[in-house]
Amino acid sequence: MLVATTMAACGQDDGANASAPKAPATIPELTKDPLTLSFIWFDWPPAHALEAFANAEYAKERPNVTVKVNTVPNANWHDAMFTQFAAHKTDFDIPILDSQHIGEAVTNGNILDLTDFVKKNIDVKAYDPYLLAAYGQFPQAETGKRDENASLYGLPLLGDTWTMIYRKDLIGDKPPRTWDEMISVAEKCQADHPGVSGLAFHQANGSDAAAVTYNTVNGVYGGNLWDPKTRKIEGVLNDAAGQEAMDVLVNKMKPLTAKGSGNWFIDEVNAAVAQGKACIAFNWIAASGGLLDPKQSTLGTSREQILDKLGFATLPSQKTNLVPLGGMGMHVSAYSAKPNQAEALNFMKWFEQADIQKKWAAAGGVPSRTDALESPEFLDAQPFNQVYTDSVPRMRDMWNVPEYARLVDIENTNVNAALNGAKKPKDALDDIAKEQQGVLNSGSRKGGGGL
Amino acid sequence: MSNSAPLTTDHPGQVAAATPPAPGRSHRLSDRWLTVAFISPALLLLLAMSVFPLLWALYLSFTDYSATRGGPAHFIGFGNYTAILASPQVHLRTYTTLLYVIGAVTLQTVLGFTIAYLISRRTHGRGLLTTLFLVPMMLSPVVVGLFWRFMLDAQFGVINSMLGSLGLGQVEWLTQQRTALISLIVVDTWQWTPFIMLIALAGLTAVPKYLYEAASIDRASEWFRFRTITLPLVWPLLLIAVLFRAIEAFRLFDLVYILTSGGPGVSTETLSFHVYKVAFLGFNTGTASAYGILMVLVVIVLTQLYLRYLNKLKED
Repeated sequence: MLVATTMAACGQDDGANASAPKAPATIPELTKDPLTLSFIWFDWPPAHALEAFANAEYAKERPNVTVKVNTVPNANWHDAMFTQFAAHKTDFDIPILDSQHIGEAVTNGNILDLTDFVKKNIDVKAYDPYLLAAYGQFPQAETGKRDENASLYGLPLLGDTWTMIYRKDLIGDKPPRTWDEMISVAEKCQADHPGVSGLAFHQANGSDAAAVTYNTVNGVYGGNLWDPKTRKIEGVLNDAAGQEAMDVLVNKMKPLTAKGSGNWFIDEVNAAVAQGKACIAFNWIAASGGLLDPKQSTLGTSREQILDKLGFATLPSQKTNLVPLGGMGMHVSAYSAKPNQAEALNFMKWFEQADIQKKWAAAGGVPSRTDALESPEFLDAQPFNQVYTDSVPRMRDMWNVPEYARLVDIENTNVNAALNGAKKPKDALDDIAKEQQGVLNSGSRKGGGGL
Repeated sequence: MSNSAPLTTDHPGQVAAATPPAPGRSHRLSDRWLTVAFISPALLLLLAMSVFPLLWALYLSFTDYSATRGGPAHFIGFGNYTAILASPQVHLRTYTTLLYVIGAVTLQTVLGFTIAYLISRRTHGRGLLTTLFLVPMMLSPVVVGLFWRFMLDAQFGVINSMLGSLGLGQVEWLTQQRTALISLIVVDTWQWTPFIMLIALAGLTAVPKYLYEAASIDRASEWFRFRTITLPLVWPLLLIAVLFRAIEAFRLFDLVYILTSGGPGVSTETLSFHVYKVAFLGFNTGTASAYGILMVLVVIVLTQLYLRYLNKLKED
C-alpha cells in the first residue's frame, strides 16, 4: 500500500491543472498505424459483448484498430481507474465511468471536456435529454432534465435500470403495480411455496449494491437523497419519507428474502431466480440476459420454457414512480496518447450513429438514442428491453459529486448493517445522513480527514 | 589461467587473506568492491521499494495531500495523527482487529502445536503427513477466500448442506455479526495453522533425546516430561512463530476483502481494510499515510517488547 501511495503521490503535478482539459471540436487526423484502443470496465456480460461488437463492426471502418475491453472485478472498478488517474498515467484510453464517478474525474482533471466535440459531432436531439446529462454532464443535472449550458464530459455507452423479475407460474401473469401490492404478493407466494423466498434483491456491502436498493425504495416512497442546491443531506435523507422507506426495506422486504442473502449482489440474485428460489426479484437489466440461458437455469430446457415462467416488468410505483438510473458513459482519459485520444473520439462519434446504436442493441447492448430504444432491433432482442424503454422517463440518479465514493460506501455499509441486524433501521439511516453530511461539509478540505 | 591462491594455511592462526592477490586481478575489483557490486542491486531495490516509500509516506502523513485531487501538500503537523487516534471509527476497527488477532493466533497456536506434537511422535509417514498439512499454506489467500466463500454460503454452500443432512439448521456464516468474524478466524486458522505446526515441529525434533531417556529412567510421567522438557525447549521457537502470525494477522486484508467486504456493516472491517478505504475510496492520502505509519509503529513497539521477553526467556 505504501508503494501504491508513493506511486500516486510522485505523479502529482504542481496543482495548476484542477479541471478537465478540452477535447478538440474536430477529430484530429487518425493514425494509419496499428493501434489498440483500450477500455476499462468491470467484468460482466456487456463488457465482453462490447469488445466482440466493436472488433466486428468498428474494424469495418478502421481495420488498423483493435478494441480491447480490460475488465476488473466490480468491487475494484473505481480503484482501478482512479489509482491510474492519480498516477497521471493510464493504460486505458476510454474509461467507462459510472455516472456518479464523473464529478470526481472532472474535478481532478482526469477526463477530457467533450462539450465542443459533442456540439460539432453528435446529434443531441436524438437522445432523451436526461440520459445525455446523466452520462456526461457536470455539474449534475436536475432529475429528468439537462442543462444545455453545462459542460459534457462523456457520452452514453450502456443504458440500464432495474427490472422486476417475477414468476408467472407462481404469482400470475399480471405483475403487481404498487410497491405495497408487490410486498403482499411476495408474502403470499412465499407462504404458498415453501423453499421459495418471496423476494431477492441486492443487499451486499460491496460496490453500490445495498445503497441502490435503499435509494430505490427511498425514491418510490417519496424520499430524497439530498438537496443538491444547499448540499444538505441531514434532515433530507432521514426525513419521514426516508424513515418509511428504511422501515419498508428492513421490516417488510427483508423478511421475505432467503436466509443468508445479506451479501447478495447481481450474480446471487440471478442464481436465485435461475434456480427457482425466488418469487419476485430485482436486478439490473443489462445483467439479466443469463436468466434466459437454459444451461444456467432450472426453470426450463429452452428459452421459451423459461419465458413461460419468468416475466419482466417495470418497477412498481407507490408515492412516486421513480426507478434507479444505471448504466455507464464513455469518457476519454486525459493521460492517453494523442493518437489514442483522437481514435477514442472517432469511436464515440461512430458509436453514437443511429444505425450503429441499433446494431449495438441487436448485439445485446442497451442503447441510449431514442430511435434505437424504440426500434424493433432493440425491443425484440430481449424480453426485458421494453422495460428499459418504458423506464427512461422515470429515472433518478444518485449524487454526482467528487465525494461520491465515500458517500456510497457510508450508505452501503449502513444499509447492509440494517439489513443484517447489525444496526437498527432508524440508527442506520441517521448515521448515513450524519456521516454523509460530514463528508460533504469537508469536501473543500484537501487530503486530511476521510475517517 | 593463474594459480589459485591458497584458502588455508598449514599454520593455525595465519590468515588466508594475507596471501597476495592473484596476478592480473584489477584493483577496482577488490573484495570490497565486489561485495558492493553484488549487494547494491538488492540494496537499491530495497531502497526504492521499501525505504523510500516509507519515508515518503512519513512525509505525507504530516500533510493534507490527496493523490487524486492534486495540488501541493500543505504541512498540517500532527493533525492526521490526532484525528486517527481520536476517531471512534478507528477505535472500532482496532477492537475488531484485536479480537481477530487474539482469536486466530490462539487457535492456530493450540492446533498447530498439537498437530506438531502428534506428528513428532510418529516414526512412519511423518514426511508425508507434514507435506499434506502444509498444502493450505501454499495457496493464495484470494483463492482460499473465494472457495471458503462458496462453501460458507448460507443457501448454496456445502457447509450448510452438511449441517442440514445432520438435521441442524442453516447458519448465516458471513452475514451475521458474530459468525462473520468467527468465519474469518476459522478460514485464517485453516490456512495458517500449518505454519505454526512447521515451526513447532522443528522445535520438537530438536529436543535432545537423552533428556527424555533420562526422564524415563527417573520414571517421569508423560505430562511431567511434556511440562518440564518439551514445552520449555520448544517455547522460544513457538513464540517466534506466534510473533510472525500475530504481525500477519494484524495486517489482514485479503480474506476480509473476499469473504465479507468488512460486513455486515463494518463489523469485520480490520484496520488494514479501513486504511484501504481511506486511501483508495476517499483518496485521503495524508490521513492514510499517517494511519499506515501508526500501524507500523504499533507492530514495531509490540515486536520490541516481545523480543525483549524472548531474550529474557533465553537468558533464564
